[in-house]
Amino acid sequence: MTGAARVVRSPVGGTVTALADVPDPVFSQAMVGPGVAVEPRDGHGEAVAPIDGTLTTVHAHAFVIAGDDGAAVLVHLGIDTVKQQGEGFTLRVAKGERVRAGQSVVGWDPAAVRAAGYAPIVPVIALDAQQQALRPAGDGIALDAGDELFAWSD
Amino acid sequence: MADDRPGQILAALGGAGNVVEIEGCITRLRCELEDGSVVDEAALKQAGAHGVMTAGSVVQVVVGPEADAIAEDIQDLL
Repeated sequence: MTGAARVVRSPVGGTVTALADVPDPVFSQAMVGPGVAVEPRDGHGEAVAPIDGTLTTVHAHAFVIAGDDGAAVLVHLGIDTVKQQGEGFTLRVAKGERVRAGQSVVGWDPAAVRAAGYAPIVPVIALDAQQQALRPAGDGIALDAGDELFAWSD
Repeated sequence: MADDRPGQILAALGGAGNVVEIEGCITRLRCELEDGSVVDEAALKQAGAHGVMTAGSVVQVVVGPEADAIAEDIQDLL
């Protein structure tokens, strides 16, 4: 291992949940990388950037931030929420913009997602990382947005 | 994109004539097809897909974070 591990912060406040418990095989089987999920607290809130970097992909319900070292983190707000076509999600930044960890990226309301019939759980994925490179916060721990969710070493 | 993945993926989905709609969503292609039964899963995996999920005429192809770019390239081929 070289250098310090990256700190990946929770985009939302809520409860740490194993990725395997996310009801979507892309995430639960870690098809695009390992990570940790957060079951969000209800109430309108802001999803914040988990790392410093550039927004390389932005949808209303999901975004990817790439750090300057190329390591990229995917945040997905709820499962199958693409079908909401952006309703209830308010983008605060645009593709290509630089953000700091903790900065608001999307405003949303997990309770509204649940009311629409979707699971509001938030998978946070270290894209193309190895499972053993992550040191996640323990399942069941309550976090605020911006708290450390996992450490990611090379 | 400098590779031929979009073309390979389109062929494995049954060709342009079988595609009703295709959309990139962060890590996956969401494809609505005329006929979901003709999808060549092995060919999709060979083209780099991490996984394929089929539900009737809707097929999701997990291609990783380049999904949006690949979907745009496939749309150019339609």
